[in-house]
Amino acid sequence: MRERATAEKLAVELCGIALETPLIPASGTLAKEALGEVEGVYGAILPKTTTPEARAGNPPPRVAETPAGMVNSIGLQNPGVEHFLQDLGAFDLGLPLFVSVAGETVDEFGALCGRVGSDERVAGIELNLSCPNVECGGLTFCATPDSVEEVVAACRRAVPGKPIFAKLTFEGVVENALAAESAGADALTVMNTIPALTIDAGRQEVLVRGGLSGPAIKPLALRAVYEVSRAVGVPVLGSGGVTSGTDVAEFMLAGATAVQVGTASFVRDPKEILAEFATYLDEAALKASDLTGRLRYIYG
Amino acid sequence: MKFYSVHVEDRERVGNYTLLHYCWPHSVEPGQFVMARSNLSPTILDPLLARPFSFYDHEGERASLLFEVRGRGTALLDRASHIEVTAALGRGFAINASAGRSALLGGGVGVAPLKLLSGRLDQLGLHHDIFLGFADERTAEIARQFPGVTVATMDGSVGAGGTVLDAVPDLQAYDAVYACGPNPMLAAVKRAAGEGSICQLSVEERMGCGNGSCNGCVVPVEKGGYVRSCVEGPVFRAEALAW
Repeated sequence: MRERATAEKLAVELCGIALETPLIPASGTLAKEALGEVEGVYGAILPKTTTPEARAGNPPPRVAETPAGMVNSIGLQNPGVEHFLQDLGAFDLGLPLFVSVAGETVDEFGALCGRVGSDERVAGIELNLSCPNVECGGLTFCATPDSVEEVVAACRRAVPGKPIFAKLTFEGVVENALAAESAGADALTVMNTIPALTIDAGRQEVLVRGGLSGPAIKPLALRAVYEVSRAVGVPVLGSGGVTSGTDVAEFMLAGATAVQVGTASFVRDPKEILAEFATYLDEAALKASDLTGRLRYIYG
Repeated sequence: MKFYSVHVEDRERVGNYTLLHYCWPHSVEPGQFVMARSNLSPTILDPLLARPFSFYDHEGERASLLFEVRGRGTALLDRASHIEVTAALGRGFAINASAGRSALLGGGVGVAPLKLLSGRLDQLGLHHDIFLGFADERTAEIARQFPGVTVATMDGSVGAGGTVLDAVPDLQAYDAVYACGPNPMLAAVKRAAGEGSICQLSVEERMGCGNGSCNGCVVPVEKGGYVRSCVEGPVFRAEALAW
């Protein structure tokens, strides 16, 4: 147990849910095998995206290193929602449990949200809107604000009583954020990985065509969080290249209520990130809940 | 992922490879691996990811890693006086104590886990033959650290000409086969070993995290789909792999 002063310092509230810390694992970056390493770090747990049916995922190579980052193309490998819910107990650390979902059509998204939302262990649902919408020629659900609005509205109808978070891509993020908010999203996750490509020049082949993550994308994510936070009234979960305690503070100052840690957890002990953040708060004589949007000057 | 800073006690150039030694007082099983990086990496964050290496050896409290400088991560690792390593990860080789004859097959820098495995088999009094394949004379230098080894080189400069399988008279005569190397080599070993032996393959895959979280290092399996080589492997029974 944390001391009372430390607990009060780190606690935040997200959509009426009390979080012991503002840190949340980014979807797809915390396996149940690694849960032992993160005790006391996160305010909520968010496992890898689940889909209506099992998905084998993409053939390897799935990851490639890039300057200060990595590109991944996992292909949403997962055992399907029914197996996922059977296994969900493995992620029960006594913390709020958020579930990331993805469908290939608006109806699939809605039905999946209904299924997941009916599980009493699930405190909130994150919509992974970066996957292709097969009804729109494979463009992602984030391709247009109309598409975002339609899918979020369907999920909202399916889950009237629990928070839903729309996870957005960098491109068009403000317009999409406004669309998600008007369709009833309770919060926005800003942002997903950025489309990227790596090439093996020796073999003259594409190595990995996927999403870029890591410190390389942090300034883009910070800008997106800043712009979105100023445009909408709902809370923002910051995500993208968060690697240190100072990064956590920066995202909160830019407007985030909570902050997701993903790729950094592969290369750092997440406990160190939380400890650095706690030190930052001590030195600034602030609580985490004071930080959100607390910038001295607003530009642009 | 938790990393531990360790001092590089010694570093040897062995042909094209580097053999690096550090103190590691915890237990290690043959075929297990670590994620390793220069101690500068967490500060400069570029290169970002650590690299997976099988344990080459672990004697007393001295752990050894064998690697080839291929990119920025290994280039920095090659120069660092302190490195960062994880604890031993993954599932290693299951030693088959009842096997009459065992063969160890390695290819290139993939020979690494066979040194530790060979040592353990010796401790158990289990006879085994070692066959190692390399590109050329320079990469084959590491073979001198394997007593009684049979070597093949692609250019024929040392031992038999051809792949490691060209150095093995009759792989199907063995009850147990342990192999590590590039995946095409492992697929060939699986085919050559047939179904009469217990064949274990230590796979080489690009890895992101090393603890099962990123799903980056998968291999295709016979039961369908993919499994993660960092937690379900890196050593697999040959028949489990869809190669």
